[in-house]
Amino acid sequence: MKKKRNQAAVLAGSLVIGFVASVAAGDAWAQVAGQWRDAQHVYSKICANCHEIGVGPVIKGRNLDPDYYQSVVRHGMRAMPAFRPTDVDDAMLRQVAEMLSKSPAPGGAK
Amino acid sequence: MASKYVALPKGVSEKNFDAAIREYREILGAANVFTDAEHLVSYNKIMIPDSNENHQPSAAICPASTEEVQRCVAVCNKYKVPVWPISTGRNLGYGSAAPGSRGQVVMDLRRMNKIIEVDADLGTALVEPGVTFQQLYDYLQDNKIPLWLSCPAPSSIAGPLGNAADRGVGYTPYGEHFMFSCGMEVVMPTGEVLKTGMGSLPNSNTAQVFKWGYGPYLDGIFTQSNYGIITKMGFWLMPAPPAFKPYVIRYPEETDIVDIVETLRPLRMAMVIPNAVVIVHALWELGSFLKRADYYTGPGSIPDSVVKEMVKKHKVGMWNVYCGLYGTPEQNEVNWNIIQHVVKSSGKGELLTAEQVGDDPVFKYRADLMQGKMNTAEFGLYNWRGGGGSAWFAPVSQARGSETMKQMEMTKRILGKYGFDYVSEFIVGWRDMHHIVDLLYDRTDPAQMQAAHACFDELLTEFSKHGYGTYRVNTAFMDKVADTYGPVKKEVNRKIKRALDPNGIIAPGKSGIWN
Repeated sequence: MKKKRNQAAVLAGSLVIGFVASVAAGDAWAQVAGQWRDAQHVYSKICANCHEIGVGPVIKGRNLDPDYYQSVVRHGMRAMPAFRPTDVDDAMLRQVAEMLSKSPAPGGAK
Repeated sequence: MASKYVALPKGVSEKNFDAAIREYREILGAANVFTDAEHLVSYNKIMIPDSNENHQPSAAICPASTEEVQRCVAVCNKYKVPVWPISTGRNLGYGSAAPGSRGQVVMDLRRMNKIIEVDADLGTALVEPGVTFQQLYDYLQDNKIPLWLSCPAPSSIAGPLGNAADRGVGYTPYGEHFMFSCGMEVVMPTGEVLKTGMGSLPNSNTAQVFKWGYGPYLDGIFTQSNYGIITKMGFWLMPAPPAFKPYVIRYPEETDIVDIVETLRPLRMAMVIPNAVVIVHALWELGSFLKRADYYTGPGSIPDSVVKEMVKKHKVGMWNVYCGLYGTPEQNEVNWNIIQHVVKSSGKGELLTAEQVGDDPVFKYRADLMQGKMNTAEFGLYNWRGGGGSAWFAPVSQARGSETMKQMEMTKRILGKYGFDYVSEFIVGWRDMHHIVDLLYDRTDPAQMQAAHACFDELLTEFSKHGYGTYRVNTAFMDKVADTYGPVKKEVNRKIKRALDPNGIIAPGKSGIWN
């Protein structure tokens, strides 16, 4: 990734440091199949959006089979969208499923 | 003999499809071409009231670069294989990632996820189709770039390119997303790469700052269309204001919609209210965190009397208007005084700030969306009825009170005939309203799915009779909506299609455009 510093600009009282940034695939911000950092990264950027705010059910600490997680992710369920192999590849999805399968319930509750 | 494929593209023999698939695999690698049911199922998860069979893809091909898209397009032309391009594939309630008709190959551009450039001085970004709002948001945050995004409610999992290409909207002052796009790279059906606007000039550095270029402005014909595959899009991003003040105005009666629009339109047109304001009906406001079955289990639509009780119990408005002030504290103070005065003078509406509302999850998600922050709380709407059925009915209205009232009454009457609830909001443009209605139904119940389809059809028929058109529609009703805009528009669209895509390989039927 290259960053080119330009001049600083002052706008409405707040200092804005300007730069032009070019970002290569595989960088730290990528959130796509083959570029996730680990299972937790997938969970925090996708699953948690709904499953930690009460929109979808809690999916941690449920003692569910990893195969079940995988199936629901690929098929979707009722309103839950399906996630495609380009969102998360099979190998990483397996890691997510295994992580969730073994996870304790949030807050220690069962 | 049964085919080894889940579906075949219309008019393509299995032998030719074998050859095409073989060539896609040579270009993309076997891991990026899917024909097996196990993986294709994720491309066929839809919420719209139409059968999954009608939208079953034959394959998914997943290029990672413009050059790979070009090479795949060459194969499509060779074997006359139609491809349905998707970006992040989150057109939920409009068709999701599934093709418009059975057998089309999905061209999944999710792997093209480069943020090519962000210019903090000029407030511009250039991104590929697979970039999500979350990815771009994280990038801006981590690099402390003081620019804001504008996103639709699915925020994190959707993406700026696909949303703007379908002319979606968000909630900041940059909420009309296509209006704030600037410059595209498009792979044409012939395989050529077109850069629109200033981008076609060699060595130009103005592609993301000046929209029009020279000669005809072409960007519009690549939105809601099938004339090319957009592989890059530029955007203007809003400078983070020194201060942001969200507020809500609550109104007690459904008929208040007339006064709301008449009161707010001058403020919106004069940019005292700069953002895409939403006027949210109680059933949307409450439906985002309540379940219908807890309030009503009888037949038909939820009665008005029950909705009134819910409004009272949960202390929300029958209409809830969410707006924001963006500027220096001094600028916001001036505009706040104007708004307070106007609302007070109108004699209706309770004006509340974040401090007055307190810990309210709906206010929080609205405030987040009005500053381009990721928040998917609105998906809670899907729990209102349950069962995963959703179809957005999206007629355009003048920003005129009498018109919004008429549209509301028509919509409620037709929904009521089929037993569905009026879950709606008006998104206020500068002179228009996007009247957005979520036709929520239980997709696991065949009778409800059939009723939802019939209801949607009648909504379109009745609205077009009154001269009301929809700005966007799901993939089951594209032909019908194209017809409502008349034969000349349809024929011109078709002539352009034939000229640019003689083999009809890009998304046949998108927006009712066929070869």
